[in-house]
Amino acid sequence: MKIAGLIVVLLCGCLLIYGTVDFPEWGDPASPASTHVSPYYIETTMEDTSVPNIVTAVLADYRGYDTMFETIVIFCAGIACIFLLRTYTHQAPETRLYRHIPTGIILRIKKGGKLPEDSTDFERVDLQWVPYDLIIKTACRVVVPFVQLFALYVIAHGHHSPGGGFQGGVILGATLILYAISHDLRTTIKRMSEKAVILLSAAGVFIYASTGALCLLFGVNYLDYSGLAAILGVDPVSARSHGILIVEIGVGVAVMAVMVSLYYNLSSVGKQDEGL
Amino acid sequence: MNIVSTILLICGLLFFTGGAVGIIRMPDFYSRLHPAGKLDTMGILMTMTAVALYNLHDFSIGTVLSSLKIILIVAFLFITSPTATHAIVDAGVRAGLGPWTKEETKEENDLAT
Repeated sequence: MKIAGLIVVLLCGCLLIYGTVDFPEWGDPASPASTHVSPYYIETTMEDTSVPNIVTAVLADYRGYDTMFETIVIFCAGIACIFLLRTYTHQAPETRLYRHIPTGIILRIKKGGKLPEDSTDFERVDLQWVPYDLIIKTACRVVVPFVQLFALYVIAHGHHSPGGGFQGGVILGATLILYAISHDLRTTIKRMSEKAVILLSAAGVFIYASTGALCLLFGVNYLDYSGLAAILGVDPVSARSHGILIVEIGVGVAVMAVMVSLYYNLSSVGKQDEGL
Repeated sequence: MNIVSTILLICGLLFFTGGAVGIIRMPDFYSRLHPAGKLDTMGILMTMTAVALYNLHDFSIGTVLSSLKIILIVAFLFITSPTATHAIVDAGVRAGLGPWTKEETKEENDLAT
C-alpha cells in the first residue's frame, strides 16, 4: 500500500514538473503576467494615486474588492471560531486558587467556600499554576508599547515601505497575545473584553466597506477613493492615497481583533475563564 | 573606522561560533541554553555595533539616525533574548527536568556497554 502511494505521488510530481515546461521564461517580458495590467500599474501608479509602493496601491486601490473580501474572510474565520468553541453555559470550576499577594501563599478554595473576590490582597491564580514570574512580566510590559508603536508605524507607512493593514494588525494582535501569555488570560480580558474584540473585528470590516459606500455617494464607483476628495479637502490623486490609508486602518483593526478573539477562544477552550 | 568595525565583526562572529559550538557540545538542556542565551546576545551587540559604525562612514543626520535605529535593535534584543532564555529554563524546571550530573552519563555509558 505504501509503495502504491509512493508511485502515485511520484507520478503526480512528474506531471507537475512536466507542466512547468510550458511556463514562460523567468522574467520574460512577453509572458502573460507582464503584458496586460502590470505595465499599466508600474507606469501609472504614481500619477494615479501618488503612492510610491506599487504593491500597496494594487492591493488597496486597483484591487480593492479583492482585499475587502479577504478582510471579510478573516472576519468570518473569527466568527466561525467563536461559533465552534465558545461555551456560554457558565460553570464555575470546582475549586479555585487564590494567591495572598503580600506573603505569596496560595489558598485552595473548594466549591461553596467564601471567595475573596473584592479583596485587594488576593489575586486569582489558574489551576495549572502560573508562577509569579516578575522577570517575564516586567520585560513584556516594557516591550509591548514599543511593539505596538511599531505596529502603528507599519500600518501607516504601508504607502512607502513594505507593510500595511494585514502586517500591522498581526503585530498589534501579537502584542495583546504576548500580554496574555506573560500575565494571564483574565488580566487581558479585563483590559480588552470579549465584546470589544468582536465589535472591533466587525468595525474593521465596516470601515472598509463604508469607505467604498461613501465613494458611491459622491457619484463615483464603489471603492474609487478619488470621490473622497471633497471631504478630505485634497485633489483626487492624493484622495486615493488617503483612501488607501483609511481602508488599511480598517484592515488592521479587523485583523488585530480576530487574532485576539482566536487566542481567547483557543487558549481557554471557549470558556474564557482560565487559560494560558 | 573600517578597521574598528572589522575587528568588532570578527569578535562578534567569534561569539556566535562559540554559541553554536556550545549548543551542540553541551551535555543537557540547561547548559545548552547557557551559550544560546549569552553568546548570541553578545555576538549581536558586537556585530550590530560594527554595522552602526560602518554606516557612519559619511557623517550626516540620516546615517546617524539609521545607526541609532541599529543600536535600538540591540537594546531591545538585550531585553528580550535573556527573558526568553529565562522563560524556557523556567518551563524546563516546571516540567520536572533535573539538571545533568556526571553519574547520569556514567549510567548511560554502562547501559551502552
